[in-house]
Amino acid sequence: MDKRLDLVKHGKQLWTRDLAVTIRGDLEKLLEQSQAGDAVIIDAKDVDVFDYSFANELFGKTILRLAKEHPERFLVVENLNVYTRENLANALSSLGLVMIEKKGGKIQLIGKVHPADQETFNAIVSAKDPVTANDLKDKLGINLNAMNERLSKLSGFALIRRNTGVSSAGREQYRYSVLR
Amino acid sequence: MGNNHIEKLDAVSFDTFIALADPFKNDVNVFDLSGVKFISPAALVQLAAVCYALKGKGRQLKIILDDHSVCSYLARAGFVSTLKSLVKFEPQHIEDSIYNHLRGSNPLLIEVTKIEKGTELPNLLNQIISVLRHRLKYRKYDAFDVATVISEICQNTFDHNKSTCGFLAMQVYGKGTKRFLEIGVADYGDGLTKTLQRNSKNKGINSDLAAIDYAIKPGTSEHDDPTRGTGLYHLLKIAYKYQGAVQIRSGEGKVRYRMDMRQGWKTPVVYIPGVHIALSLGHKKKTT
Repeated sequence: MDKRLDLVKHGKQLWTRDLAVTIRGDLEKLLEQSQAGDAVIIDAKDVDVFDYSFANELFGKTILRLAKEHPERFLVVENLNVYTRENLANALSSLGLVMIEKKGGKIQLIGKVHPADQETFNAIVSAKDPVTANDLKDKLGINLNAMNERLSKLSGFALIRRNTGVSSAGREQYRYSVLR
Repeated sequence: MGNNHIEKLDAVSFDTFIALADPFKNDVNVFDLSGVKFISPAALVQLAAVCYALKGKGRQLKIILDDHSVCSYLARAGFVSTLKSLVKFEPQHIEDSIYNHLRGSNPLLIEVTKIEKGTELPNLLNQIISVLRHRLKYRKYDAFDVATVISEICQNTFDHNKSTCGFLAMQVYGKGTKRFLEIGVADYGDGLTKTLQRNSKNKGINSDLAAIDYAIKPGTSEHDDPTRGTGLYHLLKIAYKYQGAVQIRSGEGKVRYRMDMRQGWKTPVVYIPGVHIALSLGHKKKTT
């Protein structure tokens, strides 16, 4: 079950790394309580501004540790305004990181996104149902090894879901989807 | 120590002023502001940081003033109340108590304020945002940009130093489209060179000017932590965006950046502990 962290309860203007350390404690608790496959949503609704130190500490540090400390948990940010989106994008880009953003009911990536990752992510978003590497390689016109590498990277960073399914031939295969 | 006829004491002339005394080399304990007619907020916080550093060395300090309006301004700007427990002022009776209750009442002035922890920042940043938006006609998100970098440099004063503190002051000058603000932030901590050298990756930094060069690059920090070391980088980025001017002083080095020319001028200066930053921003042009 997805869990939520409402940032605005800490204020509309979120300044300093110290404040982010406190909030990151709350976020860690939510991640610990969550199960594999769950998402923790950071809701930035009504937050006017946060500084880079805040973004680096809360978002950057959590994402850097997510795969190791909370594998298969998804971290999503939503309801960013123009300013907080720009600051978060800058902060994540300077750290070489990317995360999932929910904007207007749609899922997208924010941060430093490699064009190949963006292309793969978009292809999965546009598919209504979970897709396999085989489905995607044909759609994107690349070979299966390259496709698997791209998908492995995205699922390793908890940007897409990977579930095990069975092919029509009865073989086990991975199916990929985005959070909805 | 005489002031060599400095009439305007700001972030630039402060180095001429302090070089005459060179108080961390010589046993000079008197700062003579006779003849000074104007003091900017950046110079105020620089002098405050110098006094705190010297007092920490057990020095008995005196500041001499002769201009009535400067005496009043130092009292109004919170300089006297911040320093009177460690500095003897001459004339001795600068009446500052009448100004203490005015602290925070003028939106165009942030009095010299000690910064010791992050909880002190939101109120200061709110005032800066308000001035930028309502007096300098910055749009909301532009004002947030500036507040964000002030937040970053203020955090540096207590994040990287122990047993010291930082100081912030701001003043808005001029009218209409000629209006501009200056913000000064200064501390008397270890300075950039020593701070950055705590990280083994930065051992090669061998001068204060080199430390400033390193410090403005993203990811340069005393901490081996990729989420740190972006404060001064963003300071210059934002100053460039709004065509401001920035001065960064640390130890024996100073770099003044004119962001309209995207250029920095390096100057060796006499040693002062800590990091001193001055940021000037003008009225927001409608075209940007």
